[in-house]
Amino acid sequence: MAITLDLMPTEISNQGSRDAGGLVRVDREKESAEQRRKRFEDDALQYMNQLYSAALRYTKNPADAQDLVQDTYAKAYVSFHQFEPGTNLKAWLYRILTTTFINTYRKDQRRPKQSDQELEDWQIADASSHTSDQGKSAEDVALEHLPDSDIKRALAEIPEEFRIAVYLADVEGFSYKEIAEIVGVPTGTVMSRLHRGRKQLREKLTDYALELGYVKGGKK
Amino acid sequence: MSIPCDKCCESLVLFIDNEIDDSATFNEIAFHLQDCQGCRGEMESQRAALNLIQSLLTRSCCESAPSSLQEQIALRLSELASQEIYASTQSEIITQYRRTEITIDGQTSIEIETSHEIRRDFPF
Repeated sequence: MAITLDLMPTEISNQGSRDAGGLVRVDREKESAEQRRKRFEDDALQYMNQLYSAALRYTKNPADAQDLVQDTYAKAYVSFHQFEPGTNLKAWLYRILTTTFINTYRKDQRRPKQSDQELEDWQIADASSHTSDQGKSAEDVALEHLPDSDIKRALAEIPEEFRIAVYLADVEGFSYKEIAEIVGVPTGTVMSRLHRGRKQLREKLTDYALELGYVKGGKK
Repeated sequence: MSIPCDKCCESLVLFIDNEIDDSATFNEIAFHLQDCQGCRGEMESQRAALNLIQSLLTRSCCESAPSSLQEQIALRLSELASQEIYASTQSEIITQYRRTEITIDGQTSIEIETSHEIRRDFPF
């Protein structure tokens, strides 16, 4: 039985590409289905915790997050022959996760789309903020004391497009270009979303700290 | 010589995020920051604020996949793998065409039939 499995790739590659489709292309690398599966398990499964954590941010509930991660791995496995070894596997998995989320899990949730036309907005905002405000470190200390649940809540409350950008940049450390590829939008849009997302997140966290009395009022 | 403060401030986010690919632009900003205390202060405060947000997020968003999910994924992959083996067993599609042309009293009728047959050898 094992011998039969080993022989299969050569048999496939001897055939026309008509019915085997993508499988033929894998055989170009002389890799058996078993070997590919092993490679997938070794390389891709290590990101499961990270993908699950991201999926929780995307879907905001554990049941959907689990389904999303499972679907992501199934899709990744099926198209693993298209993944070029040596390129960024983590980014590739995140792209599948994100597009699956956008296309499937979000479909029925009707929500007004955030506009992306505020491209210059982030530049103007930063250019005009030359003066650093005092007392920032006190606020920082207060934010550090916020419980994890508040930080997750703040992230969950900012608009989805912003949340995804912030998560990918500030938790996963992806570059703007990688995020643009993962989400399927131009780099300028990523910058805009990231800037606005970070700003809103910060505001929310400061509000929570105020509510909890970690920060003494007075922030306008 | 050095770029103006507003141009530097415009690019601070990119600078902090390490997103300036062009080395000339990067150097312009780096030199300006060296010389300008105001911009340097601004950069440091923005960077500290960002570092804080990043550390808070990293600290709180680190759930582990439940073991049930790990099992489900392992199962799903096994299913897909066995489907793949099934699909990849040697198979060929044979297509046959039959063209029948009948002419009676100058009237010609042509009939074309197509049939597909999938032949598959099972390795088991």
